[in-house]
Amino acid sequence: MTATTLDPHTPLEAPPHAHRSALWRAGWIRAAWMTALFWGIGLGLVLVFRWWGGWDPLFKWSTITVVATLTAAPIGFLAGLGSFDYWVRYAIGSPTVPEDHSTHGGRTWKDYFRPNTDHKVIGIQYVVTTILFFVAGGLMAMIFRAELARPGMQFVDNQTFNGLVSVHAALMIFLFVIPAFAGLGNYVIPLMIGAPDMAFPRLNALSFWLLPVAGFMMLLSFVVPGGAFATGWTSYAPLASDQPLGQVFFNMGVQWAGASSIMTALNFLVTIITMRAPGMTFWRMPLLVWANFTTSLLVVIATPFIAGSQFFVMFDRVMHTHFFIPEGGGYALGYQHIFWFYSHPAVYIMMLPGFGIASEVISVMARKPIFGYRLMALSLMAILVLGFSVWAHHMFVAGVAPWLRIPMMVTSMVIAVPTGIKVFSWLATIWEGRVHFTTPMLFALGFVSMFVIGGLSGIYLAAVPIDIHVSDTYFVVAHIHYVLFGGSLFTIFAGIYYWFPKMTGRMYDERLGKLHFWMTFVGFNVTFFPMHWLGTQGMPRRVSDYAPRFADWNMAISIASFFLGASIIVFLYNMIVSWARGRRAEANPWRAMTLEWQVSSPPPFFNFDELPQVVGNPYEYGVPGARHAVFNGDRVGLVEEVEARH
Amino acid sequence: MRRGSLVQLVALGVVIGAAATVVALVVPWLPPNAAEERDGIDLVFWFTTAICIGIFSLVGSVILYSVVKFRVRPDDDTDGPPIHGHTGIEILWTAIPAILVTAISVISGIVLVQNDRPGKDNMNVDVLARQFAWTFTYPDHQNLTSSELRLPLGRSVELHFDAADVIHSFWVPEFGQKQDAVPGQDTKLVITPTKIGTYPVICTELCGLGHALMRTSAIVMTPAAFDAWVKKQGEALNAPPGQAGKAVFANNGCASCHTFEAAGATGKVGPDLDKLPAYAKQAGKPLEAFVKESIVDPNAYVQPGFPKGVMPPFNLPADQLDALVSFLTKGSK
Repeated sequence: MTATTLDPHTPLEAPPHAHRSALWRAGWIRAAWMTALFWGIGLGLVLVFRWWGGWDPLFKWSTITVVATLTAAPIGFLAGLGSFDYWVRYAIGSPTVPEDHSTHGGRTWKDYFRPNTDHKVIGIQYVVTTILFFVAGGLMAMIFRAELARPGMQFVDNQTFNGLVSVHAALMIFLFVIPAFAGLGNYVIPLMIGAPDMAFPRLNALSFWLLPVAGFMMLLSFVVPGGAFATGWTSYAPLASDQPLGQVFFNMGVQWAGASSIMTALNFLVTIITMRAPGMTFWRMPLLVWANFTTSLLVVIATPFIAGSQFFVMFDRVMHTHFFIPEGGGYALGYQHIFWFYSHPAVYIMMLPGFGIASEVISVMARKPIFGYRLMALSLMAILVLGFSVWAHHMFVAGVAPWLRIPMMVTSMVIAVPTGIKVFSWLATIWEGRVHFTTPMLFALGFVSMFVIGGLSGIYLAAVPIDIHVSDTYFVVAHIHYVLFGGSLFTIFAGIYYWFPKMTGRMYDERLGKLHFWMTFVGFNVTFFPMHWLGTQGMPRRVSDYAPRFADWNMAISIASFFLGASIIVFLYNMIVSWARGRRAEANPWRAMTLEWQVSSPPPFFNFDELPQVVGNPYEYGVPGARHAVFNGDRVGLVEEVEARH
Repeated sequence: MRRGSLVQLVALGVVIGAAATVVALVVPWLPPNAAEERDGIDLVFWFTTAICIGIFSLVGSVILYSVVKFRVRPDDDTDGPPIHGHTGIEILWTAIPAILVTAISVISGIVLVQNDRPGKDNMNVDVLARQFAWTFTYPDHQNLTSSELRLPLGRSVELHFDAADVIHSFWVPEFGQKQDAVPGQDTKLVITPTKIGTYPVICTELCGLGHALMRTSAIVMTPAAFDAWVKKQGEALNAPPGQAGKAVFANNGCASCHTFEAAGATGKVGPDLDKLPAYAKQAGKPLEAFVKESIVDPNAYVQPGFPKGVMPPFNLPADQLDALVSFLTKGSK
């Protein structure tokens, strides 16, 4: 292998097809005209069909929007960017461009703005893009918190308010939490299992580029007549079947984001199953890999259900079907059953990778093996299975068959058991450890404590009589933010800080990192804890106006939320400045055992210049002489020697 | 190696538990209890809270204790003891939570079954939810309708829900009971009021533009006062058209979206009904026909500046419709 001789910071002399004119070369110029061309094809298709059928009016904008703007144009954009070039060449029998992978690592900033098949570039593309959507979603929260600071209407009207709330949640869920985990996983999974890249690098590149399409679509809904989709991220039918045009931007945005998720999950599964380094048995895999393996199973099984539910809603609207419209024989509750059959597992899709990150960080920073490694992995599997049997706990007041509520309550309660095992095991890992309070560790411990509060409020919601009282109130808003902000977001931050040196080759500023943590931790609790009280006392969720007796707490919450919003500035400043000018990071600043830390920071193009031979468990801190892996270059006989010891 | 002291840990746990208990008891977490069903709900709530305080104290004390006790300097590069697990303790923390959640489930199940069962002299009320108003019909009392839910004290009531357009949800925090109204499906809820007073009825399912304003009141009255109200309502509907129209206007919740001076209505979601003659002129239709059409088929003509498809069609009995039209045309100048 010659990869070691390539310098990651020198551009290659001539990228392939450089001789072609910019108009035809894969890139942003071709993407621009192909987007327009495909939009035109979509428009033509609609017009031909409508003219042929003799339908009036010929120009029906809701149909044109769905077909041309939300389906055809994105395909044109992706094709123009070059996402399909290799497959098209292969299909039409023209010579394919050999991708020996050494031609497109992250050499210059330009390499991050095109379909790039290097999983390390894709990981960074994912993380940076999702943070942009996170900031956008956060700004929307700032606007509606300003509106909610006082009862009555001040800044926005009802439709805008409902739109802001809906787009905020949709962006945070579909364009931030889920893909941010996919991005971190993308970067570290191949490194952790000792693979040179993902199993399907071209599919990996495509799944990233679907994301900006989905996010742009959701943001674009603000400028269409009637405003952004305003039915909440749950988008219940039949309300969603009869809303202004912005609604279809959600229906279709979810399709693009969902397709991206499914492709990534398939890629993770195949990579983890087939590309582990010699000696890396399933029971030697780091827990982050286990977590993403489980999550990917959830994604491939569950995500098609939300795709289906959104298509049905859109068909009801565009094709006048009656899936969920009772007047035509439809079943309104059917939507919720299908939607939650995805969206409950989605909660675990948004949490299990975070469990994985927490396990990595806590074990390394406490300098102790993870407590009960096998039970940790098995409890992930238990959550995976149980996660599919609890969906109706979102529907206790929805009018489901009364008997259904009892078994769904029991299964929901039972999920507390494997979740509890994980929490107690983390605590036992810290116990009597040598604990280093670095920024990732602060976020990991912040996660454990906040997630416990979110888990406990989950018990209240699983108990049917309490749920009947608090469902669709601010209690639920508090719960979901303790789980997704205190849970998922804290682990995403932990992961970003933890792998920042590996990804960028530089260290972040530890003092700013800690400042960011404490601002987030305090701001988060003051913002979300009082919401439990608002909910139990009588404030429903998703309202622009509320009873005057809730005014004081809402004002306090709004002020705290602005403080929380400001903490992101510290984070962004730290990331940007440290990436540009931070101290150079050594290969293994945390003295971790997992494979990604055994290579340089950032890693070489093919990750491993020498093939690792895995010989032991990944968390053997404090075990004298223990090794997770040895490399070919190490002295002869070491493999056998270490293997014999285990 | 630094050893953890169990005594110190337990002491810290007790302190955290005590603090959490104070928060649980001092803050008024639940609204006033005004229905029998709330007793069971409150029981489950406090039972769960007791268990949660225990678990929170355990987790909180271990984290806090570890932060203080096991922290090392950044340049300390020693490792902790290589403990990989402990089967006994792992069984313990699988079994104990399993037992606790089973206990919560059992109590919840019992309370749920109790709260679903209507009482002996049960009264029925049909609830129609529409964007953005509630209509309560009393089938046991000459099919009276009202835009406020009036209930006699101490009598169990079974509410039967229907929705005219999209999904809505009925909630009275003081009753602790909530139920979605789903188009094309019957749903039920039992309430037994135990305290006289006026309580908010809140729509908790996002139902469109006017969702935040979809509010009315539940008024619990003495049985005698309730009977008197029933009698008075019956008379109002048989009154001359002008006054009957005012009752129809009130009973159908028109006021939640519209402004209309004669009825004292100040809603802002829909068009201002004091301007009806002007709107009729704009639409190019005679006033009376225009008003009737706008009630029966609101989307036939929508005043510019207001979104289409927000107001649902109202299919009122012919006499009530005439009364309402006459009230609206005479009241608006």
